[in-house]
Amino acid sequence: MKTSEAMKVLAARRGDAIVVCALGMAANEWWAETHSDDSFYMHGAMGFAASFALGLALALPTVPVWVLNADGSLCMNLGCLLTEAGQSPRNLKHFVVDNRVYQTVGAVPMVNQGAADYVGLAKAAGIPRARAINDLTALERQLPEIVAEPGPSFTVLGVEAATGFLRTPPMTYEGPEMKYRFGRALERRLGITVFGPQGY
Amino acid sequence: MDVDARIHEELTQKCGVRLAATLPDDWVAPLIRRMGADPDVRHVPVAREAEAIAICSGAFFGGVRSVAVIGATGLLTCTGEMATLNLRHQIPVFCVVSMRGSIDDQRIYQEVQGRLTIPLLQTYGFLYHVFDRPEDLASIPDAYETCRLQKRPFIAFLTRRLVKGAHA
Repeated sequence: MKTSEAMKVLAARRGDAIVVCALGMAANEWWAETHSDDSFYMHGAMGFAASFALGLALALPTVPVWVLNADGSLCMNLGCLLTEAGQSPRNLKHFVVDNRVYQTVGAVPMVNQGAADYVGLAKAAGIPRARAINDLTALERQLPEIVAEPGPSFTVLGVEAATGFLRTPPMTYEGPEMKYRFGRALERRLGITVFGPQGY
Repeated sequence: MDVDARIHEELTQKCGVRLAATLPDDWVAPLIRRMGADPDVRHVPVAREAEAIAICSGAFFGGVRSVAVIGATGLLTCTGEMATLNLRHQIPVFCVVSMRGSIDDQRIYQEVQGRLTIPLLQTYGFLYHVFDRPEDLASIPDAYETCRLQKRPFIAFLTRRLVKGAHA
């Protein structure tokens, strides 16, 4: 399956989930599919979108939170699986787009390319609801169950690597605007206070 | 009231902190235990300090006030993430950190931290304040508010004299 096809299926089943995207391919493809500003698109801290999403999930325990991670990012912060398991947030779903290359920089092969068992790592870390899905039909079939199950859950999406550099363009805003668009979107949707009376 | 109890009280009662992401060194371990024992605080032990930074950043968007409690060596491991996440997106993150490598902390494995931590923070433009005496702790709420207003990392350093006592 292609990353864009997987994102289309996820977007259709997203429901009320707030989405945090790892920088690069996951963020660009999710933006291309949804143009949603109640999603946070990481622009840095590679590896730590999962931790950001965990903090958000713990702060909003009744709101579904998804993290759209990528294999390169996961490998930069494998310890996040231990922390997720330790906290066991019922509202957190962790998806990993696994194309076995660093796509953003020209499809450079990943560390331990193709041999890593991320599902095994997640299970060993203490996340029993973990699986890999490698085709679109299986994703369409299994996603409703995944959405309905309690978190934390961990789903590897085995997708095709594209050739060359990432071609899907990034979202059309960045940095501080990302902060305020995302925060204000959550305030409107959830009735929470992110920013104080003077706007910071 | 001991120093750790005071810091805990300032953070939770005055600043409204409800989530603490932590990784200990020996100076901040008692504070971490105290935060972990508070039923009103979600305690998140992490495996690497940058996780604590990102967790606090995510909690910010959920409207929850948080603190990262880490050691000075851990702080050095995550300044890149603080720059590319917190400076990049202007997300405040308040960190309580042991001020290792001071003249009264004669541990060979802290000597680099002692020389380079402050210049590094200044280079990044991260804010910091040194808490050296128990009477300084009343400024923690002002430091917390400054962190939010300045929209960037703020390091509240705890000195050896503060956490261990003047004659330790």
